[in-house]
Amino acid sequence: MTYLQANNRSNKRQKRTILVSGIVVLIIAALIFWTPHFFPSIFNTIVRPFWRMEFSLQSGSLRSPTQLLNENENLKQQLADAQVRMQTIQATETENAELKAMLGRASTTPRILAAVLKRPPFSGYDEIIIDAGLDKGFSTTSLVYASGNILIGKVSDVLGETSKVTLFSSPGQKYDVLIGAEHAPAVAVGRGGGQYEAQLSRDVKVVEGDVVVSPSLNDKAFGIVTGVLSDPAQPFETVLFAPPVNVYQLRWVLVNVKGK
Amino acid sequence: MNKKILPRIIIDLILFLSVLNGWWFVALPLGLIGAYMYAHFVEIIIAGIIYDSLFGYIPGMGNRAYIGTIVAVVIYGTLSGLKKVVRK
Repeated sequence: MTYLQANNRSNKRQKRTILVSGIVVLIIAALIFWTPHFFPSIFNTIVRPFWRMEFSLQSGSLRSPTQLLNENENLKQQLADAQVRMQTIQATETENAELKAMLGRASTTPRILAAVLKRPPFSGYDEIIIDAGLDKGFSTTSLVYASGNILIGKVSDVLGETSKVTLFSSPGQKYDVLIGAEHAPAVAVGRGGGQYEAQLSRDVKVVEGDVVVSPSLNDKAFGIVTGVLSDPAQPFETVLFAPPVNVYQLRWVLVNVKGK
Repeated sequence: MNKKILPRIIIDLILFLSVLNGWWFVALPLGLIGAYMYAHFVEIIIAGIIYDSLFGYIPGMGNRAYIGTIVAVVIYGTLSGLKKVVRK
């Protein structure tokens, strides 16, 4: 008799647990469905200071003063060298901008620098997380560039002070590009880890080291051909390419801010 | 303090630290161990939601964006049932 009572009590408790769990799951599912930014806003706000701190530590905030001074000297020297080279590039860029302005095609899109808080391979979903969002006027149409004007992705989700950037090299992502000296049009398909592939007719001559650009007036650099896979039985060849920067080592990116 | 509580707290701490860093390859085995060892290891579901909140939930990504939460719920449900069968 006593055994039956205990069993009944246990069954009741089990039912109550299942009921409560079901209600909690339903509430969470409803929140995710109706307000997709509810949980991301909360957790990103909590985590952002830790990510910023990690970024600062990786940037060398805790190194000894001697080390920092030495590095500072080295960097100053490198900067001086780079400035000399930059002057030549700047002259060309100025000439380019002037010519475009004369033709009424000057670029007016401002860019904002953002720190990369999380990057592949540790961030999930082959994306990067940057430390600016709505506060800097980013939107889901903003394009993202690595240093050297290299197009690497676009902002896919914007929160208050962080944004998620989907890389064009993420698996399944597609982007129109022009490949090689002949500017052969193709669709770059992301393979993950900063790698792309594209199908081209075998008649188009593409070799390792050819430049891949995005088809726009400013011809943004997109990647460098790293390999060409050709099968004599197939009319197409597969061109493999990667951006000249390593997405695993990105620390800063530039983000286009439209409408500002 | 219950002897089982301290290891659970340690597992929770490592679990959440790895989730914050996006180390799913650390969080997943820890979640499996925790869900098997402890009753009502709801931390795994919370960890799944946090992981997706930080790295997923991207519009246009489809169901892939919820993979953390889905995997966590599946592990929790499967191991809860499995435990009962194994420990009979």
